[in-house]
Amino acid sequence: MATLIDIIRSQEAAIRDQSVDQWCQDRSIAELQTAAAELESYRHEETNLYQRVRALFFLHTLHRYHLPQRPELPSAGRVPYPAFQHMLDRRFEEAIGTLRKAEQDHGANDTLCSALAAAYHALAFQTLANQVRRTVRSTRGNAWMFRLGHPQDQPLKVRPELLPPADATQPTPSLVERTAVRMDLTHCAWSDIFFLGMDYPEGARVLNVSINLGVHERDTATRPPVEAYFRVISEPVLRLASVDLETSVTISDLEEVFDFGRDYLGLLKAAIIAAGIVPPGIERSGASLPDLLGRIFGKGRGFELISNVNGIPKGSRLAVSTNLLGALIAVGMRATGQVAHLNGPLTEADRRIVAARAILGEWLGGSGGGWQDSGGIWPGIKLIEGAPSQPGDAEHGVSRGRLLPQHTLLGPDRISPAARKKLQDSLVLVHGGMAQNVGPILEMVTEKYLLRCAAEWTARGTTVATLEAILEHLAAGDIKALGAALTANFTGPLQQIIPWVSNRYTERLIAEVRAEFGDAFWGFWMLGGMSGGGMGFIFDPARKAEGQARLRQIMLRAKRELEASLPFAMDPVVYDFTINEDGSSAQLLTDQAALLPPAYYRQIIPQLLRKAPRELTSREQQDLTQFTRTAKTDPKLAASLPQLLDDLLPNVLGTSAPGQDLDGLLTANGFDRAQHEEIRHHLKEGHIGLAMNRLSPTTDIADLEPSDLFDLAQNGADHRAAGEAALARGELAVVTYAAGVGSRWTQGAGCVKGLHPFAKFEGRHRSFIDVHLAKTRQASRRWGHAIPHVFTTSYLTHQPTEAYLRREFPDDFGRTVHLSPGRSIGLRLVPTVRDLQFAWKETAQQKLDEQQEKMRDSVRGALTNWARSAGEASDYTDNLPGQCLHPVGHWFEIPNLIKNGTLRELLQLQPNLRTLMVHNIDTLGATADPAMLGWFNASDAALGWEAITKRIEDHGGGFARINGRVRIIEGLALPREEDEFRLSYYNANTCWVDIDQLLHTFGLTRADLDHQEGINEAIRSVAARMPTYVTLKEVKKRWGHGQEDVFPVAQFEKLWGDMTTLTGVPHAFALVPRHRGQQLKDQAQLDGWQRDGSAAHVAGLCDWR
Amino acid sequence: MNVRQALITAANPRQRSLPLQILIDRDGVPRSALEIVLQEAAGAGIERFCVVVCPGDENAYTAACGPYRAQTEFAVQAEPRGYGDAILCGRAQIGADPFLHLVGDHIHLSDATASCARQLLDVAATEKTSVSAVQPTHESQLTSFGAVGGKLLGGDLPLYEIEAVLEKPTPTLAEQELLVPGMRAGYYLCFFGLHVLDQQIFESLEAERSKAPDQLLGLSAALHQLAGQRRYLALNIAGRRYDIGGHYGLLHAQLALSLGGKDRDQVMTQIIELLGQNPR
Repeated sequence: MATLIDIIRSQEAAIRDQSVDQWCQDRSIAELQTAAAELESYRHEETNLYQRVRALFFLHTLHRYHLPQRPELPSAGRVPYPAFQHMLDRRFEEAIGTLRKAEQDHGANDTLCSALAAAYHALAFQTLANQVRRTVRSTRGNAWMFRLGHPQDQPLKVRPELLPPADATQPTPSLVERTAVRMDLTHCAWSDIFFLGMDYPEGARVLNVSINLGVHERDTATRPPVEAYFRVISEPVLRLASVDLETSVTISDLEEVFDFGRDYLGLLKAAIIAAGIVPPGIERSGASLPDLLGRIFGKGRGFELISNVNGIPKGSRLAVSTNLLGALIAVGMRATGQVAHLNGPLTEADRRIVAARAILGEWLGGSGGGWQDSGGIWPGIKLIEGAPSQPGDAEHGVSRGRLLPQHTLLGPDRISPAARKKLQDSLVLVHGGMAQNVGPILEMVTEKYLLRCAAEWTARGTTVATLEAILEHLAAGDIKALGAALTANFTGPLQQIIPWVSNRYTERLIAEVRAEFGDAFWGFWMLGGMSGGGMGFIFDPARKAEGQARLRQIMLRAKRELEASLPFAMDPVVYDFTINEDGSSAQLLTDQAALLPPAYYRQIIPQLLRKAPRELTSREQQDLTQFTRTAKTDPKLAASLPQLLDDLLPNVLGTSAPGQDLDGLLTANGFDRAQHEEIRHHLKEGHIGLAMNRLSPTTDIADLEPSDLFDLAQNGADHRAAGEAALARGELAVVTYAAGVGSRWTQGAGCVKGLHPFAKFEGRHRSFIDVHLAKTRQASRRWGHAIPHVFTTSYLTHQPTEAYLRREFPDDFGRTVHLSPGRSIGLRLVPTVRDLQFAWKETAQQKLDEQQEKMRDSVRGALTNWARSAGEASDYTDNLPGQCLHPVGHWFEIPNLIKNGTLRELLQLQPNLRTLMVHNIDTLGATADPAMLGWFNASDAALGWEAITKRIEDHGGGFARINGRVRIIEGLALPREEDEFRLSYYNANTCWVDIDQLLHTFGLTRADLDHQEGINEAIRSVAARMPTYVTLKEVKKRWGHGQEDVFPVAQFEKLWGDMTTLTGVPHAFALVPRHRGQQLKDQAQLDGWQRDGSAAHVAGLCDWR
Repeated sequence: MNVRQALITAANPRQRSLPLQILIDRDGVPRSALEIVLQEAAGAGIERFCVVVCPGDENAYTAACGPYRAQTEFAVQAEPRGYGDAILCGRAQIGADPFLHLVGDHIHLSDATASCARQLLDVAATEKTSVSAVQPTHESQLTSFGAVGGKLLGGDLPLYEIEAVLEKPTPTLAEQELLVPGMRAGYYLCFFGLHVLDQQIFESLEAERSKAPDQLLGLSAALHQLAGQRRYLALNIAGRRYDIGGHYGLLHAQLALSLGGKDRDQVMTQIIELLGQNPR
C-alpha cells in the first residue's frame, strides 16, 4: 500500500492521483499521526515546489478532516497565543513549529488540530502565490523592470510620432488601443488558475472567444468594450482618468504611482508600472517622477492615460478588468517602442508579452485572474492550453507547466464563418446582476485538485473530455448540441467540483426559461468563477430575439423577489455580442482626428469651464477648442452637450438627498435622538470607544474546569426521557435571532442572512430559515407536539422575512411560526480616527501578502481622511438608508419578545410553554434536543448556556471564570488579546430560558405581560445594568456600474451573553458537540462544512415534507 | 581571412564634422579623430582605407587623414539613406575582399597589448569568418546600440556565435530575443563599432533594401540575416569604445586618451585643480 509520500512522489498516474480521503478512511488515529509526522519532515526536505505544496495540503486535510473525526482525539485544548500571532503575521512556518511543540508538550487535541490545519492551508497558498510571483518577475521581458532603480537607467523613449507638434495650437496626437473581452465557451473547470496550469498543463484547456459587446436596446452596435488612450502632454506629470468611473488624478510624485488604494485608478497605475514606464524596481528609490518622465518623453513632458469601458458592469465574468489592463499596458508599450507598430493588431510575440505584463499588473494591483483572462488581446476563437515547461524556461525544474499558456487561433478552417454566425445567432449573453467574490471558490478548486478528491477528480477528467465535444459541436455548427454539452457541464462536473457555483436565482432562471421556451431553449452556460453574474442562454435562433426580450423581464422579476436574500449589485442586463476578429488593435490619431472619448470631454469640460481663461493650460485650451470645433460636426460629441450642461449644474438637477428617506425610517422605528446625541458626545470625548469596551487589566481571568460544564455527549442520556416528556407536553418554543444582515456572510451586501439560500438539501437551495423550520418540524413530529418557532427581526429583515414566510410557509405562519419585530434602532456614525487606529493597530490583524498589505495601508489612509473630512462621530448618512441604520445587539431581542407581545401570544396559544431555546440564525445544528431540555429543567437555572470546545476560527470571547465567577465574556471586553487564548470553551450563543425566571429577573410575572407601561420600565432598568459596546462594522456603498466601496462605521450593541454578569440569576452551563454548536459565519466555510460531515448531520435533523 | 582594407563610415549629416575634431592622442600629439581611427586600423595591418562621406566633405576629410592620405579613397553617400546604405556606398571600392569596418565617430582604446582592431582581425584570421567586436553594455544603454544574442563558444577567447542581431532594442525585446547564457543579468553584448565583414554583407544589405526601398537602411537587420545564413561571431573585445557623438562624448574620449597616455599626470592635476575651484 502506498504511503502518502509515495502518492505525492509517484510518476504513475494511478498512484499519484489517489484520493487522500480514501487513503485515510480506515486508518487509526496512530496511523494518521505517524503519516502526519512523516509528511511534516518530508515537506522540509522536498525541493520540488508542487510536491511540497501537495504535502502541505495533505497535512491540512489530515488535521482538518480526518484526525478530528477519530473519537480518541481529545476535544478541549488551547492554541498558544504566539502561534496565533505568527499566523496573523503570515509567518506560518513559525506558527506550525509552535503548534507542534504544544502538541508534543500537552498532547494532540481538536483545538490544536484546527490551528495546524489552518496554518498548513495558509502556508500552502502562500507558497503557491510566491512561486507564481517569482515566475512573473523572472519571465523574459519582465525582469529588467525589477532591476531599474534610477531615472538615468530608464532606456525607454517615446515614439516621436506621439510628440506634441511644434505649433502649440495644433492638436497633440493620441494613441488608442481598442480591446475585446473574452468569454470562455467551455468553462474549463477553473483549469486556468495559475497553480493548476503550472502543475497540470495537460488538463488546462479552454476555448476562449474574443467578443465585442453592446447593451441590448441601449447601444446601436457592438464594439470592443475596452479602450485605452495615451497622449503626451507638456507637463511633467502623469494624468490618469477613468471615464467609466468618472474620476481622474494628476500625479507628480513617484510614490503615488505605487499607491494603488488611494483612489479608483489603481488599475491604471498598475498598467503604467507593468508597461515599464514607471518600472517596479524604482519604487521607494526617492527618484523624481519628472526626471523619470523627462528621460522618456523629454524634459518638462509627461503623459495622459485614459481608460474607457463601454458600460460593462463589474462581475460580468468577461474578464473586463484584465483586458482593460491589457489594453492600457499595450498602449503604453506601443508608445514607448516596446511594441513595434503604432497602428493595427498586435503580433503574436507582442500579445504574449502584453499578457505576461498583465499578469504582472494584476499581481501589483493585488488582484488576480486566470491565465485565459487576457484572451481578449487575441483575435477570434482560440484554444488556450497549458504548456509543459522546457529547459531554458524560468519554470523549468520548478513546475511542470509554464506560467503563460499556449494560444492556438482557430481560424475559418477550423471554425467556419457559418458556425461562428450560428453561435452568434443563438447565444444570449446576460449579466444577472449578482456580484460575488469568487476568491474562495478558486481556493477550494485548487485544494480539491491537489488532494485529488475522488469525485472532484473524476469530474475534472469529464470537463477535459467535454472540451473536445464542445469543440466538435462548434466546428460542426451544431449549436443545439453545444448547448446541451454546456448545460451538462454546469449541472454535472462543475457542481460536482464546487456545489456553490449555482444558486437559487440561477436555477430559477434556467427553470423559467426552460418552461417558457421548451425545446427552443438549447442550453445554459456559466461564465467565469460562479453563476449569477455573467451567464449565457442558448436559444433556437428563430427565438433568440424573443429570448433576449424575455430574459430581461424574467431576470428582473426574479431579482425583485430574491434581492433581500442574495447579493445583487445592480439590475440585470442583456447584451448584444459579436466575435471580435482583431483582438487588441491600435490607431494613431492625428490632427483633427486626435480626439479622446466623448465621455472624457463630458467629464473634464465642466471643470475647465469653471476656470478663468487665463488659468487654463495650453493643453486645456486645446481640449476646449477641439471639443467645441468637433461638436459642431460630430453627432457623438454634440449629443454629449445636454449632459454636459447637466453636469455644470449638479445641485439644481441632482436627485433628492437620501437623508429624507432615512429620517422617515428612523421615525418609523422609534429612533431615540436624545440617547443618540449622548452617545455621540461620549464617543467624541473618548468616554466610550473600542478601547473602553475592555475590562480592567487587573481582572482575574481563568479558564473553566471540565466540571463547570454539563457534558451532553457523556451525560445527556440521563435527562433524555424527562426532556422528551416535556416536549410532548408542549413546554418548549424555539427562538432564532434573524435580525442581522450577515455582514461577514455577504461582506456587507445588506442581504437578510436568514433568507440566504446557502446550500442544497434534497436537491433544492434552502435558506437558514428553511433549515431551522425543517428541524423544528422534525422535532415536533417526533415528540408529538407542535413546537412554536419565533424569528426575531429588525427593521432590516422584518419585511422580507415576513413576505418570505407568508409565501413559503402559508400554513404555518401565524400558527406555529411567528415573528418578533425589533423595537430598537441605532443610527451609524462616522468612526473616530482614534477608534479606526485602535482597530487597525491595537487589535490583532491578519497580515496580508506584500502587495495586498500595501493596498490595505493605502485604503486605510484614505478611510482615515474620509473620517476626518466627513466629521468624526457625525451621523453616517451617505448611503442607502438601510445601510445607515444598525440593530443594537441581540440583548434587546429577548426583552422584545416581552415588549412586542410575542411572548404573551405564545403563552396564550400554548399555555404549557415553560422554556425557550434561543439561538443564532447560523447555528444550524441547534435543535430541540430532549436531553438538553431535560438537563436544563433539572438544573433549575433561569438561563442555560451552550458551549463548544474552541477551534482556531472561534473568535470573540468564550466562557471564563472572571474574578472567580463563571460567565460569558465577549472578545471585545477582554483586557488583552491573548486572554482569549487562555480559554478552552466558546460561546455557541444558544441559550435555554426559563420563562418564569426570566420574567422574574425583569421584575415581571406572566400576568404583567398585558401592562406595557411596566414592561418598558422593567426592560430599561435591566438594560442599564448591561455593558454597551462600540464596534466598527463594514458597510458597502454601491455606485456606478456595480462598483462597491466598503466603509467602516461605528455602532453600538448590547449582547445577551452579558446576562451572565447578573448576580442573583441562576445559570447553568453545558458542553455540546461541535456539530450542534458551530456557527457558519463566512461563505468560505461552506465547503469544509460539507466535507467534514456537518452538512449531512444537519440534513439528518431536518424534515422537508 | 586576410584583411588588408577598411571601410569607415562618416556620412551622418548631423555629425559630419565629428571625425574632423582634433584630439590629443596618447603620445600627446594633436590629431583629428579620423586620423586616430585610421591609425587604429593601420596599426593592425590595414593598408587601404575607404571613407564614406557626405557630398562635398572630401577635401576636409582628406586634410584630416594625416599621414594616411595616400592610402585613403572616398565614397560619397549622395543622400542620407541610413547606415547600411553608407556601407553599400563603399562596395565598389572594397570589391570582393573581406574588410574591417569602423565607424568614424568612435575611438577605441585597448586594454590589452594588441589594439582593438588587431584583436578582432586575429580572430577573423583564425576563425575564417565574419566577426564583430562587442562589449557587455548595461540595459539602460541598449537603445543607443545594436545588440546581439548568441552562445559562448568556449576556448581561450570570449568568443560568441551570434544567433540574433537587433538594432537599438528595448530591454523588453532584448530579454526575450538576445539571450546570452553566462551574461550578467541586465547586460547585453552591444556592438563596439568594429566589424570584420566580407562581401556577403553587401548581398544582405541589398536584400534588405529590396524589402523596403523607401526606408532608411540600417545595418543590424542585414547582420541578423547574415547570422541566419552562416557562422558569424562576436568577440568581447578587451578595450573600450568612446562615442564622440554622444553627450560630452568628445570630452570623455579626450580624457580617456589623455589618462591612458604620457600626459596623464598633467591632465590629472588640471582636473583636480578644476574640482578645487568648483567645489559644487
